[in-house]
Amino acid sequence: MHSPHPLVTVSRIGKTFAGQRAVHDLSFEVHRGEIFSLLGPNGAGKTTTVRMLIGVIRPDEGRITVSLEGATSTALPPTLTAYLPEDRGLYREIPVLRTLVYFGRLRGLEKDEATRRALDWLERVNLLDRKDERVDALSKGNQQRVQLIAAIIHRPTLAILDEPFTGLDPLSQEFFLGLVHELRASGTTVILCAHQMDLVERVADRVLLMNRGREILSGTVEELHGRLDSRAHIRLTLEEGTSASVLQDDPDVDELGPGANGEPNEAHVRLRDGSSVSRFLARAVTRVPVRSISTEPPRLHDVFLRAVREDDARIPGARP
Amino acid sequence: MSHWKQVRLVAAWEFARYFKWRDQVLGLLLFVGLSALAWGVGKFASGGRRAMTVATSGIELTPRPGSRLRFVEAPADSAGQATLLSGGDAGGILTRSMDGTFELKVEKDPRYLPELRTLIADVVRQERLSASGLAESQLVQILAPPELNVRFTDPDRQRSGRAERIAATIFLGLVMLSVFTSMAYLLTGITGEKQLRVTESITAIIPPQAWIDGKILGIGAYAMANILNMVAGGIVLAVVARVTWGFTIPDIIVRPGVIAVLVVFSVLALLLWNSAFAAFASTIDDPNTSARTSMMFLPFLPVAMTVSVLRDPDHIASRVLALFPLTSPSAMPIRVILSNPGAVEIAAAVAILVGTIWLFRRLAGRIFEIGMLMYGKEPSLREMWRWASARGVPPA
Repeated sequence: MHSPHPLVTVSRIGKTFAGQRAVHDLSFEVHRGEIFSLLGPNGAGKTTTVRMLIGVIRPDEGRITVSLEGATSTALPPTLTAYLPEDRGLYREIPVLRTLVYFGRLRGLEKDEATRRALDWLERVNLLDRKDERVDALSKGNQQRVQLIAAIIHRPTLAILDEPFTGLDPLSQEFFLGLVHELRASGTTVILCAHQMDLVERVADRVLLMNRGREILSGTVEELHGRLDSRAHIRLTLEEGTSASVLQDDPDVDELGPGANGEPNEAHVRLRDGSSVSRFLARAVTRVPVRSISTEPPRLHDVFLRAVREDDARIPGARP
Repeated sequence: MSHWKQVRLVAAWEFARYFKWRDQVLGLLLFVGLSALAWGVGKFASGGRRAMTVATSGIELTPRPGSRLRFVEAPADSAGQATLLSGGDAGGILTRSMDGTFELKVEKDPRYLPELRTLIADVVRQERLSASGLAESQLVQILAPPELNVRFTDPDRQRSGRAERIAATIFLGLVMLSVFTSMAYLLTGITGEKQLRVTESITAIIPPQAWIDGKILGIGAYAMANILNMVAGGIVLAVVARVTWGFTIPDIIVRPGVIAVLVVFSVLALLLWNSAFAAFASTIDDPNTSARTSMMFLPFLPVAMTVSVLRDPDHIASRVLALFPLTSPSAMPIRVILSNPGAVEIAAAVAILVGTIWLFRRLAGRIFEIGMLMYGKEPSLREMWRWASARGVPPA
């Protein structure tokens, strides 16, 4: 149950650049302690929305209200907010520790406190022995870790993370996912923009899907699954060396694709609306050597694709 | 955190980013070494300067102290004269004909001609006066130079006008150097951060105005540190030269008031041009391809305009230039050195300059606020003006 006073209230904001509407009539609320995710294809207006939230650019219309520590304002106070921008970088030639202390001090920490916290974080992410190295001596994944530490070193009340998983290997993605969970566990509210639907699905409490600057869908992950896709999803694992491609012509099959793990003997099947799962399975086991069967909830990825395609279909030529 | 605390943090960071003690020491050694080398080469060249021998006939000339001219008796016959000339023993053969005219025979352009002409004129004048039958005492009286005493209304100005000019010229040169150094670092600092995508992270934490103010101050301080390093190098050179070769430091006794005015105007010049260039730099996407980097040469223009102040520091145009904020950093110090502009004029120039700097930094902050997020496109001057004059930008 959400508190009656959201942490962030966005009311009908809009932003236009050179006659192009980047964000239009967008409203949402972010509640304390939740992980709120902004989703959308490239150019949907996510980064513009985030930049308006953080105050780097101002909305042309609408209002953003922030309720922090009992006070209400129209701007996020930097000392209580963390921001990891999509376009991010660090001073390459500066040592890691010095960089973190500088960002900590900009956030209002005293030098000693900033140093202590930076060292704690570096130890946690196994970079303590590299604290005196230049930032550009680190791998991209490690640079991203330093960037995230620089953003959250002051223990923010609200963290806005724009595409934190981009360019990371799966191990680093898991590490960042763990950090997002950890932030929430420590009481930080998180606004997360990301393209990686499988990761968002695992971490987000609520999702707002944007397309062409507007909201097209919002709710919890479960609500979105149910609202947009009531069709059955089945995962088939076949004997080694066999393929489910023959099921493509089954009258109940709407879509046949590879399984989540990408193994050649795995298939993800989406049935048509109103199709019977038992009828399909009875036919399938006679046509392919099935080793195991499981049903899957619809993936956020599918919800995303379908919602965006339906939205684009309303405006011919909106997207190639 | 207060605005000025943020500015101090950014300024200290920017200064520390560029200032390295090792680089400063190396720079100092390099400056001293190269200067000593250049000085040594110059001294060698001047020390080895060949004395110019002129063989004379029919006139007795005496070189002035410090002159490179040396006079010997020319052979009477023309063959001997030719041998002397072709053998390089004399650079010229000066002969006097019966009608009193002189002829200088040379193989190449006689660069000593003006000095020679003066010496001949002196001797001939004396000869003519002697021939007039005047008594020796009368001759002495006629040839004695008239006495001219110069009395300064301000005795402090009596000391060394030429030395002041030289010192001021060096000082202004250093200021220009610091302005260009500073602008170069601002260019690389601001555009580099845009390219590294650091800007958005920083300006999400502190207001763009605090960031730009910090950069202007921090990088300006770094430029001043470089100049102080060069001044230190000059002092080291002078001391070494004094100890080793007995070199005496010229009498460049500059009045403290003049030094104060020069320092104030040079610091203000640095802040003025840094503020202006920070705005331009924040609209440059890639300094390697942007034509806008040529704006770096803009400060040359006002300096060129102030050359006229050197000719007549009290002309109405000079007085206007000394008050106009873009030219006052170079024009007012020149007026202070060569004239006496008065405290009111100096204070007015400082006030106008400070106001302009304040305005420039605000404009820079506004332009930067929008320009920093523009990648791949440089805004036009018209767009920049629109941003700068747009309403709704919160005060710093």
